[in-house]
Amino acid sequence: MKDNGTGSTANLRKEERTVNCKEALPIMHEYFDGLLDGEGAAALRRHLAECPACAARFRAYERTEALMRSLRRPETPPGLTASILAALPPETRRRSWFRWIRRHPAAAVTAAFLIVMLGSFLSIWDQDSRVTVSGDDLDGIIVEGDKVIVPEGTRLDGNLTVRNAEVRVDGELAGNLTIIDGSVAYASAAHISGRVTKVDRALDYIWLKIEEWFGALVPAW
Amino acid sequence: MDTPSIETRLVRLAKSGDRGAFADLVELYKDKIYHLAYRMLGNRQEAEDVVQETFLRVFRSLDRYDESLKFSTWIYRIGTNLAIDRLRRRRAAYSLDAETASASDSDGQDWHGLLASEDMSPEGHVLLSETQRRIRDAIRSLPEKYKSVVILKYLHDMSLQEIGDVLNMPVTTVKTRVHRGREFLRRRLEVEEDFT
Repeated sequence: MKDNGTGSTANLRKEERTVNCKEALPIMHEYFDGLLDGEGAAALRRHLAECPACAARFRAYERTEALMRSLRRPETPPGLTASILAALPPETRRRSWFRWIRRHPAAAVTAAFLIVMLGSFLSIWDQDSRVTVSGDDLDGIIVEGDKVIVPEGTRLDGNLTVRNAEVRVDGELAGNLTIIDGSVAYASAAHISGRVTKVDRALDYIWLKIEEWFGALVPAW
Repeated sequence: MDTPSIETRLVRLAKSGDRGAFADLVELYKDKIYHLAYRMLGNRQEAEDVVQETFLRVFRSLDRYDESLKFSTWIYRIGTNLAIDRLRRRRAAYSLDAETASASDSDGQDWHGLLASEDMSPEGHVLLSETQRRIRDAIRSLPEKYKSVVILKYLHDMSLQEIGDVLNMPVTTVKTRVHRGREFLRRRLEVEEDFT
């Protein structure tokens, strides 16, 4: 603390503000509130230097302040966030969709695009469900509804491709047989010299789409 | 206008139905509101209830949130009011209880807040130091009028102006309460010091 202002120095400081104990108390509080100006601080300092009771009180406030600020935070119970969120009223479905679109515009555009693509593909696919038979040699082949029959005793030279049909081979085929979206049955007497390939185009296409879908969405997620 | 604070932006998102944004607000404030409620009530369970209720109110009032008010002021106001309500209800129940003291069975809810926190260390499983316990008890014994002011000032580092905003009272009133609260605490803490 500074010199107590007695003796010869007292005359020099006559015009400075002096405070008694009663006045010093609110100034002390101002100090601890962090609101004390320079003049008040000087007056308080001078008073504390000459008044042991107020100085003791000042130190007690200082300890109180320090103690209060040393109080630790209690640990927040774990799972509090979860229980707060669980207590909220349930989310409406429409809103969550809308929000998803807002938050993931790229993914939303991709998804919309794929849906349109898939829709158009499926409509084309639907129109394309009639039976088609193509081959190098179609002599003697029988088509009955969705059945394609290579009758017994018939020999077809070359490859045969059948789409959207149940194929029954009772005769002989000197070439490859390809069945797209269909099935095949053989009689014991049947003979196919080439390879038999079955393609399920819709399934392949869907697989392809699924791969595309994830390929498009994952990076944008 | 200056750029909106994180809280303002999160409130806007939460208003539009973004639960993630609301969860972020919870993360930002749950510890603070828990600490506030815990110091006000001195009881873990009640503090947890107050935090739950605070966020539920915030959620329900998002549409009415006035952006000219700081979000922290707003949520502290809600939390403080809920805690004060509980203190008052407890006091009412306590005086009622005292009248019919002999008839009441010991695990009545009204006693809960006054007694439950004493047996278990509220700071989790860590044993409280003697000093920490003394401060805690001094705060607990503060009259309600000074309690909220003292807690906001010392434990939440708020300025007198902010405290006035939270409690909806003039700064001069806050100041008086801080001074009286400080005096009260000094006496409590000094007396206890003499004992040890």
